[in-house]
Amino acid sequence: MSKTSVSVRIENVTKVFKDVKGKADVIAVNNANFDIEPGELVTLLGPSGCGKTTTLRMIGGFELPTKGKIFLGNEDITFLPPNKRDTATVFQSYGLFPHMNVFDNVAYGLKLRKLPSKQIKDKVMSTLDLVGLKDLAQRAPSKLSGGQQQRVALARSLIVEPSVLLLDEPLSNLDALLREQMRVEIKRIQKTLGITTIYVTHDRVEAMSLSDRIIVMKNGIIRQIGSPNLIYEDPNSKFVAGFVGKVAFLPVEVLEIGETCKVKFEEKTVEVRKFSPEMSPGDSAVIMARPESLKLVDPSKGMIEGEVATNIYLGGSLESFVTTDHGEILVQIDNPAEKKVFAEGEKVSIAIIPHLAKVLPDKDE
Amino acid sequence: MIGLYSWRKLLSFALISVLVFAALFWIFDTLKDSFLKVVRDNQRQLVTVLAESAPRDKELAEDWITAVNKEFNEADIIYVHGVPGWDELQVFTPNEQLRTFYESNYSSEDFEKALESVYYLENYYSSLEYSFEGKSVSLVLAPLIDETRYDMTGFLVFLMSAEAGENYTNLLNIFMIGAFAIFAIIYFISKFFRDPIMGYVIMGLFLMVGIFVAYPLFEAVRLTFLEDGKFSMQTWITILSSKQYLNALWGSVKLGILTASFSTIIGFIFAFVINRTATRGKKFLSTMGLLPVISPPFSLSLSLILLFGSNGLITKQILGLKDFTIYGLGGLTAVQTIGMFPIAFLTLSGVLQAIDSTLEEASLDLNGSRWRTFSKVTFPLAIPGVLSSWLLVFTNSLADFANPLLLAGSYKVLSVEAYIEVTGRNRLGHGAALSILLLMPTLTAFLVQRFWVSRKSYVTVTGKPSSRLSDLVSKPVKFGLITFIVLFIVFILGLYGTIVAGCFVANWGIDYSFTLKNITEALQRGRDAIVDTFTLSAVATPFAGLIAMMAALVIVRKKFAGKKVLEGLILAPFAIPGTLIGISYVLAFNKPPLILVGTGAIIVINYIIRELPVGVEGGVATLRQIDPAIEEAAQDLGADSTTVFRTIVLPLIRPAFISGMSYTFVRSMTAVSAIIFLISAQWYHMTVLIYNFSESIRFGLASVLSTVLIIIVFGAFGLMRLLVPKNEYMEKNVTLN
Repeated sequence: MSKTSVSVRIENVTKVFKDVKGKADVIAVNNANFDIEPGELVTLLGPSGCGKTTTLRMIGGFELPTKGKIFLGNEDITFLPPNKRDTATVFQSYGLFPHMNVFDNVAYGLKLRKLPSKQIKDKVMSTLDLVGLKDLAQRAPSKLSGGQQQRVALARSLIVEPSVLLLDEPLSNLDALLREQMRVEIKRIQKTLGITTIYVTHDRVEAMSLSDRIIVMKNGIIRQIGSPNLIYEDPNSKFVAGFVGKVAFLPVEVLEIGETCKVKFEEKTVEVRKFSPEMSPGDSAVIMARPESLKLVDPSKGMIEGEVATNIYLGGSLESFVTTDHGEILVQIDNPAEKKVFAEGEKVSIAIIPHLAKVLPDKDE
Repeated sequence: MIGLYSWRKLLSFALISVLVFAALFWIFDTLKDSFLKVVRDNQRQLVTVLAESAPRDKELAEDWITAVNKEFNEADIIYVHGVPGWDELQVFTPNEQLRTFYESNYSSEDFEKALESVYYLENYYSSLEYSFEGKSVSLVLAPLIDETRYDMTGFLVFLMSAEAGENYTNLLNIFMIGAFAIFAIIYFISKFFRDPIMGYVIMGLFLMVGIFVAYPLFEAVRLTFLEDGKFSMQTWITILSSKQYLNALWGSVKLGILTASFSTIIGFIFAFVINRTATRGKKFLSTMGLLPVISPPFSLSLSLILLFGSNGLITKQILGLKDFTIYGLGGLTAVQTIGMFPIAFLTLSGVLQAIDSTLEEASLDLNGSRWRTFSKVTFPLAIPGVLSSWLLVFTNSLADFANPLLLAGSYKVLSVEAYIEVTGRNRLGHGAALSILLLMPTLTAFLVQRFWVSRKSYVTVTGKPSSRLSDLVSKPVKFGLITFIVLFIVFILGLYGTIVAGCFVANWGIDYSFTLKNITEALQRGRDAIVDTFTLSAVATPFAGLIAMMAALVIVRKKFAGKKVLEGLILAPFAIPGTLIGISYVLAFNKPPLILVGTGAIIVINYIIRELPVGVEGGVATLRQIDPAIEEAAQDLGADSTTVFRTIVLPLIRPAFISGMSYTFVRSMTAVSAIIFLISAQWYHMTVLIYNFSESIRFGLASVLSTVLIIIVFGAFGLMRLLVPKNEYMEKNVTLN
């Protein structure tokens, strides 16, 4: 199952759903542009209704863009029907053929390609082996667990050796434990085959753990594209910061912008190394503080005064929820055994680790 | 302009279309020319022969013209005696208008040329167009040469009708435009559709309903506004001011109201006992209760006549009644109620099943009496269902044709009246108007049921049916209800038994001795009809099944302009009385460009069109429950639309497919109302033969054919049950026609 990987390019793609009953049209995807490198696993991440599934369906050929073009390698596939394009989709609901057993489900694509039955049998069995379902070939799909159905769907798509694999929230119907297993599985298979993969999810943990790059979408607009750590540590907006991880926003005013950004927080001046470039002095902004970019110090030694409400001990780390004038703020303390821990009810002060925080414009939640 | 509709593609489409149009135009123009040449040659020959054979004696001229006109009416002839320029010309014609025509044109330039030509003993064919009595004619003059061959006694003037040629060229034009339209559409689809196969299917469906639903109905409506080829309200004025027709309308409505009311009451009792009481043998009771749905037309009427007719077993032999008559409103209400209460039963069963009995239990818990619980909880919840079933039965009763045909006697209903107008009095316009009149209440009831009542439903499907039965009736009431049901079923079974008994009785009502003669005679005389009916139904069945499933797929899964129109036209025949469909088919397909009346094809097409709605609805209901991702996955793996349909859709909607087919088969075998207008000597129909036998009081023969039909129907349903064990959907939609 080796095949040279292929890139995917989306150019100025817009999708408008005409609403029939006189209601306003819905812009599902608004002028999207991105490139996916051969062999890359890219996640489309966003809340429901953000246009990520529509984007995937346009790449798969199930929807036509209202505007724009889609390329597979150098080939313009915008208007090709799904059966004519070299993509394979794993649907959220799997879409297994209920009237065929596992073997026939997986063999379907090969039978259409008129392969000799011996070859079909070998390939189906080796693909089922890859997803760990070798023993269930004769089962009906309805007699399989959710995770097994998921694997059948994956095998059925992989066996036709598509240039691009499209996964539409493939794990959303599984329970938490299974989800974690399948996540590892998908990553392993994807890396083994080196297949270009586009993965749609609203689950940030899934996106972070799987992806080479993440495309964050909201209301049909692409908000940020980048590697998981870029998206997490260096988000370009409050929305992205909030969507990909736990965060506290502290309201500040921009004082000075240079190498670093000086902001005023409650009469105190704070210097933060990372900041969004589009701000100018006088703007109101926020400091994005992730739990691990904060630390607890003795009262009045930090920036924000508060009182520890709850401590949750997680072994390698401790999560302290601190009640402050700016709401409850979560502080993560790594290796708590080596650090000073404040008990519940104790007065504390929260300090910012300046090189981990970022100043973002105070707009768009 | 992007992608699918690039300028370059549009331009090449336009260019090729123009080229094809030019080629077609050239071909058809050549055809027209050569045809017109043949016509002209024929005319010339005719002229020469007539000029040879015309009497030289002027006294015989008028008689000769009259004699000729008896044979040929494509030419009007004027006989002129005398040599132009030499003699006084004498004009002979039996038609004074022809003389006027001659005299008013005599001095024209064209005529001068013509006379000159005649003078030199040569025929003259005018290149000008004349009009006579509103029709365009061509002018021909031919000399009457005397025995010397050098001289003339006079000449003939012919006004040749151009109509034959015109009709033909019009037909050719229609064919040419049709051919071009089909080419352009197919070419357009193949060039601009992402999925051409689906495009062709959609186009095919549009063509089908356009030609076989919209066009005939349009023709029927058009005819009612025509009088001698001109627009007129005369037909409608006659219909709406005639007491006889209005009586028939009122008769239909009255019968509908009675039948609907009785059927709903009985249907409710059946549904209530089966869904709301603990009774043994429910399965048997409900099967028996559904039996009449699939009984062939005429069979219930027939057995009612055998039992209660003027020579009936019960009325005459047992009770000796003299003045009792089964013919009329009473008998009709009885037979329709027996035949149609299953519709109410099925509808109400569904409704009662859907009402959560925990609601009733709650009422009983709160110390509501049983009657109070029924009247304040159960019944109010079932009201939309009751209305719905009432309207359904009402629609069916109005559209019913077979029972009134046999049992109405002097009682008038619209469907039969329309039939008599068409077949008995040869007034197609009146027949069409009456059946359109019948459509009004039917359509109203249908639409009210569809869009109003079904929306008012209080019943919510929770997905967790409570299997417990609350005991809503006291023992004596329950006993009373069950006794009623059992008696009713016994009566129904008695009716069937009567038909079977009728097969073996020498002469019902007079001589009850056992005989097998009926069977041999009926099978001998009915053999062709049986074979025809079976063959035509068997041909229609797979088509109807496949088309219905394709239409269902298109309706559920595809988006395209005009989908609502297509859906409406496909489903329309469900609400349109068969009588109207039959009459409109006769009107539309008895003339060019599509002459189908008299062929087996029109019967097959009629079957397909009429039974499509139920198949489509079954397919739609099934498809709606199937995750579209399944089809998308197949397409994604490389299957084109046909492959998806064949390997995924069809197997998944197999139950709807099979029941749609068996439904079509059964309904085709038992069709009457539309078919009775379409049968011919070549293609006869069993049901019509049953009617003929009954009308000529050969009840024994009618019984035999009815029994054969019943066996075939039950066989088909049995087969379906084997293939698809559970099939509520279809049963709900089986109705009489």
